[in-house]
Amino acid sequence: MTELKSWLLAENPDSRAQASLGRAYLGWRRFFCNPLAMIGFVIVTALLLMAIFAPYIAPEGITSGLTGAELKEHRFQPPSAEHWFGTDGQANDIFSRIVMGSRITLIIVGIVIFTAPILGFIIGTVSGYFGGWIDVVLMRITDVFLAFPKLVLALALAAALGRGLESAIFAIAITSWPAYARLARAETLTIRKTDYLAAARLQGAGHWRLISGHIMPLCLSSLIVRVTLDMAGIILTAAGLGFLGLGAQPPTPEWGAMIAEGRDYILSYWWLATFPGLAIFVVALGFNFLGDGLRDVLDPKSGGQH
Amino acid sequence: MKVLFNKARRLAGMTGLIFALSSGAAVAATPKDALVVGWQFDDIITLDTAEVFEFSGAEITGNTYDRLIGYDPEDVSKIFGVAAESWTVSDDGKTFTFKMRKGIKFASGNEMTAEDAAFSLQRAIVLNKSPAFILSQFGFSADNVKDMIKAVDADTLTITTDKAYAPTFVLYCLTATIASIVDKTEVMKHEVDGDMGFAWLRTNYAGSGPYKIEQWKPSEIVVLSANKDYWGGAPAMKNIFIRHIGESSVQQLLLEKGDIDIARNLETEQLKSVDGNKDIKLLKKGKGSLYYLSMNLKDPILAKPQVQEALKYLVDYKGLEDTVWAGRGQVQQAFLPKGFLGALEEQPFSLNVEKAKGLLAEAGYPDGFEIEMIVRNAPIRIDTAKSMQTTFAKAGIKVKLIPMDGKQVLTVYRARKHQLFFGAWGPDYQDPHTNADTFAKNLDNGDNAKSKPVAWRNAYAPEQMTKDTLAAVLESDAGKRAKMYLAIQKAHQQQAPFAFIMQEQEVAGLRANVEGYVLGPSFDSNSYKDVVKK
Repeated sequence: MTELKSWLLAENPDSRAQASLGRAYLGWRRFFCNPLAMIGFVIVTALLLMAIFAPYIAPEGITSGLTGAELKEHRFQPPSAEHWFGTDGQANDIFSRIVMGSRITLIIVGIVIFTAPILGFIIGTVSGYFGGWIDVVLMRITDVFLAFPKLVLALALAAALGRGLESAIFAIAITSWPAYARLARAETLTIRKTDYLAAARLQGAGHWRLISGHIMPLCLSSLIVRVTLDMAGIILTAAGLGFLGLGAQPPTPEWGAMIAEGRDYILSYWWLATFPGLAIFVVALGFNFLGDGLRDVLDPKSGGQH
Repeated sequence: MKVLFNKARRLAGMTGLIFALSSGAAVAATPKDALVVGWQFDDIITLDTAEVFEFSGAEITGNTYDRLIGYDPEDVSKIFGVAAESWTVSDDGKTFTFKMRKGIKFASGNEMTAEDAAFSLQRAIVLNKSPAFILSQFGFSADNVKDMIKAVDADTLTITTDKAYAPTFVLYCLTATIASIVDKTEVMKHEVDGDMGFAWLRTNYAGSGPYKIEQWKPSEIVVLSANKDYWGGAPAMKNIFIRHIGESSVQQLLLEKGDIDIARNLETEQLKSVDGNKDIKLLKKGKGSLYYLSMNLKDPILAKPQVQEALKYLVDYKGLEDTVWAGRGQVQQAFLPKGFLGALEEQPFSLNVEKAKGLLAEAGYPDGFEIEMIVRNAPIRIDTAKSMQTTFAKAGIKVKLIPMDGKQVLTVYRARKHQLFFGAWGPDYQDPHTNADTFAKNLDNGDNAKSKPVAWRNAYAPEQMTKDTLAAVLESDAGKRAKMYLAIQKAHQQQAPFAFIMQEQEVAGLRANVEGYVLGPSFDSNSYKDVVKK
């Protein structure tokens, strides 16, 4: 163990691999020492595990399927040992619904972070690298999207595309890429005139090779930080759309939609809206902490100051 | 971290602000001479009485327009004159002569005459909007209406029907919203391209009722002000502010705090929690409104009779009555509400998953199918729809629930572009023909049909039932007529693509000092006229 540690922390690494592994180890140590980042990491890991094993954790599935007298007896049960978070008007177990709902939350976040940032990233680096009219055109398109408040634009899109989870995801993705484009462009502008890029160009590297091989990797760390910090925003936007009835439709246990269902009963049965609300709160907080921690680790400008 | 801190600080500031605002509102009671009502009225499409055919719109126009005659909300068989002082029926039963009441003034200051009444009824026929059939069923058309409905002089109006109908049936039809009397001079002043003032009246007011419509902002507010010159005496409340409050929990909260005087959409669970509150009393009234599931026969799956029957066996009638509808509705499985002449009270359907599965297998869907259900976004409707979603799933039918605004749902439904629809129907007048006419009669099932009853909206065109319905309305013997309706309902219950589920009992929550508010048997007879605050 100590051998591995000293190998990782060697002052003069023998290979590139050793150097980058050493760097990663240092980053991990810094991350590990940051309690808030660790809380975030634990929350997000727990969320991932919960989503993966949802069917085993959730005891009752998303609907109870009860009818008649049984339904009457089991609906609106307060939190108890049997139903940890109580039951709703259809006698569905709220704890099970929240657990199953974590999958939906993760699907939304997953799809959005693998589409919007990549699109924004490409547009931003291309725009910054080429400059000129390409830059003008791409940035004006970006401006158009930035000119609307994000949630309002997402609302309009989701309403136009029809209700449903797919259109909510699409709406969120469409509204969140411009920020990444701006970020990537700014980063690209600071490095496009550097000597090592000029050297690579002189060696005959084409545009695409320069962008993908040299510029993108340099912009990546700030992008990752930004994405992690944005995840909380994505979750909140998705919940907002669900709350307004434009996201997942019943009986899908989307957390925002669950709050919307619970608000009619909030004065009589507080647990209907409270627990999904807490779930959103905890997860959004977790992603924020994680993002903050990652920024400390990944940001090259603050690197090694600890 | 700093960003996070800033965010937290801003949030704290906001919370403080909200807290300050809400605690300020809590002490403000409503003024003595104004009534504030919380209600969901997102279904209002128009304020023109020739077009109004929605629950909320009918209630607003019911309070702001006079009709020739009215009925006692406690005993609908008592019919009395309103804008008409008296009337006579000719010996052959076809001509009705009305003597107009003197001294009724419109909001514009114009005096009401028989000419206004004749114009209003003619206008409804000529414009021919959704509810026009209520009048046109007496043989009026755009070509002949000027001769059939006439102002003989300023005080006398005659209406001549094509056949001898039961006189009460004709009179009940004249109590419907579409028979409201509009101010001819005022309306024609705003005529554009021969539209008889239709474009203008949709958002404006030209009536003579106890209240005037000051303002209507869709899904926001309706403001009514007292008509000081009302012939029956000026109402006590100077203004009525009807606020659209979509969430019933918000209505409950505002009612408890005294920010509103009447909450119109308290849900079952909330009724329990306000029960026992000294400041609040509950007003209940059995309504004629029926909640039903309808299946569009244009859809190839729903067109199969076995599928229709299966769906009727997949509704948890009893469970709904005990849970979602506890204290607010009773199971009714025929198209006439209890209390109407000839209403069928038999309830052959109950939740029976095995039977439904068998029927589905017969129809060729042993594993069920996927289907969409549209429903207005109001808690009791959504909860009922969710219950159906659960029970349908037991037979493998996957229901995709699509909640929409009242307005949107009606637009889709009236264009018959839905698959399943869950909604409500309220009788337009107090005669059994009102529901028979819309559920059991369809003369033309074409896409451009002249009249589009609910049967048409679901592409349901029963020939025999249409004939029976038309025959029943001409029967003058009440006992025989009741039997005819019973027979129609029995056939309808088995064959028609409608599952009638619940008959509503409307409940309003009132502050203890509010008196005189009336919930009538139909949606257009809820009345603010006699409201006083002690």
